[in-house]
Amino acid sequence: MSALSRDAIRTMMAEVLQAQGKMMPEDDAANLETIGFRSLDFSELALRVEDEIGDELNFDAPELRQIATISDVLDFLEQLQAA
Amino acid sequence: MSAGAGVPAGAANRIITRGFDGRWDELEPLDVPDSSAVLVRDNHDAVRAVWAAASGDREVLVASRSRVTPDLALDLRDAGLAIVDGADVQPPTVHRDPVPGRVWLLTSGSTGRPKRVSHTLDSLTTVAGEQPRRTWLCPYAHGAYAWWQVVTLSISQPGQDVLFIEPDELDTWPARALEVGVTAASGTPTFWRQALYRDPESIAALPLEQVTLGGEPVDQTILTRLTEMFPSARVSWIYASSEAGATIAVHDGRAGFPQEWLGRELDGRAGLSVDDGELLIASPKRGEGIDRVLRTGDRVEIVDGRVLITGRLASDEINVGGAKASASAVRDVLQSHPAVVWAAVRGRKAPIVGSIVTADVVLSGEATAAELTAWCAARLPDYSVPRRVRFLDTIPIKETLKSDV
Repeated sequence: MSALSRDAIRTMMAEVLQAQGKMMPEDDAANLETIGFRSLDFSELALRVEDEIGDELNFDAPELRQIATISDVLDFLEQLQAA
Repeated sequence: MSAGAGVPAGAANRIITRGFDGRWDELEPLDVPDSSAVLVRDNHDAVRAVWAAASGDREVLVASRSRVTPDLALDLRDAGLAIVDGADVQPPTVHRDPVPGRVWLLTSGSTGRPKRVSHTLDSLTTVAGEQPRRTWLCPYAHGAYAWWQVVTLSISQPGQDVLFIEPDELDTWPARALEVGVTAASGTPTFWRQALYRDPESIAALPLEQVTLGGEPVDQTILTRLTEMFPSARVSWIYASSEAGATIAVHDGRAGFPQEWLGRELDGRAGLSVDDGELLIASPKRGEGIDRVLRTGDRVEIVDGRVLITGRLASDEINVGGAKASASAVRDVLQSHPAVVWAAVRGRKAPIVGSIVTADVVLSGEATAAELTAWCAARLPDYSVPRRVRFLDTIPIKETLKSDV
């Protein structure tokens, strides 16, 4: 299965937040801590992406980086799919 | 009851297998070497092997053909047993005298290759004293400890008839049980869940006086369901294993056993204790060579004066970012949801936190993943709430009648 688009990952991220009773803001610069997107949520999102593409993401591949905003999450998962 | 001690007391009991309906003493005993591992195709083969052992000085192991791999068969031959597979007999590689009355069991092998445990017909016979007349349903895998429990009860006690069913009859047994007049049935919680899920009306029509559960952790939800369905029946759960034998029997319809049983010393009863969350058992019915005080590997919790056996220690703990989620606790919460008939919970490798909790679920009513998540979130710590919920169409059940998926 082909890689997911940034928009598709964004939709999934909104679903993860919604399941926790939280809202996904419009602005991708929003801070994760502010919107309540935590490590567990990030892990769940990664597994949702894995399930959708039918492949495991290789977290060892990309360089470690600061993930502080919605945009950082989307960049990171896009990059992981390409790795 | 001892081998070679004359005609077993239950010789006139009726037993019904596919292809046989008659008394134990009408069975044609299997003609096998004195020390044999008999690989059986069905319960008819199996009871013939049992009758040969019960009515003669023999040493026997009974197992489904599908359980015995070539490696295991070689181990058994090295242990002095001939392998009997239909007409094909492979001699032992080591010749020794048989131990009359010895019965070998294979452990479930859920944690690796099956191990051999030595019992006798006596050590497998755990029900003593006069029993009410009953017709039992035996759905267990040929040669498993629970299967032997029903078999030895029927051989040793008059008035204990048995209907044996095969693995391929798990969908259709209620009609057969009604026709035969089954009044007592023993099965794992997964067996009962599957039966109630598939055909509750047929199950409810059975005139059951005794309902027994064992082989897996027994939770309150399934006990309550069965108690409500059979208000005049005794609903019991039994803790038993090939190694420890049958050691705990609880008949009050509640999950777990009373805390005051811990540390109690009574003649003929197992000594029970807990060490670091693990159940320890000193059993008079243990297999030969088994430690007097056996570490069971089963996890227990004491809640409101009851000792609850929740699952295997080795597979229960899910490390979620350093926090420890209990798979059995999550499973019990899911199975207490009115629309959930069965659930299995496990950890799944995940980035950052190491593992997250996931669940497979079978529904008997309407529920969404979000509703189940909310149900769990209201009852469990955040890290224990399943983050991925997969809905299955049927309850997975193995030949052992367990899920352990």
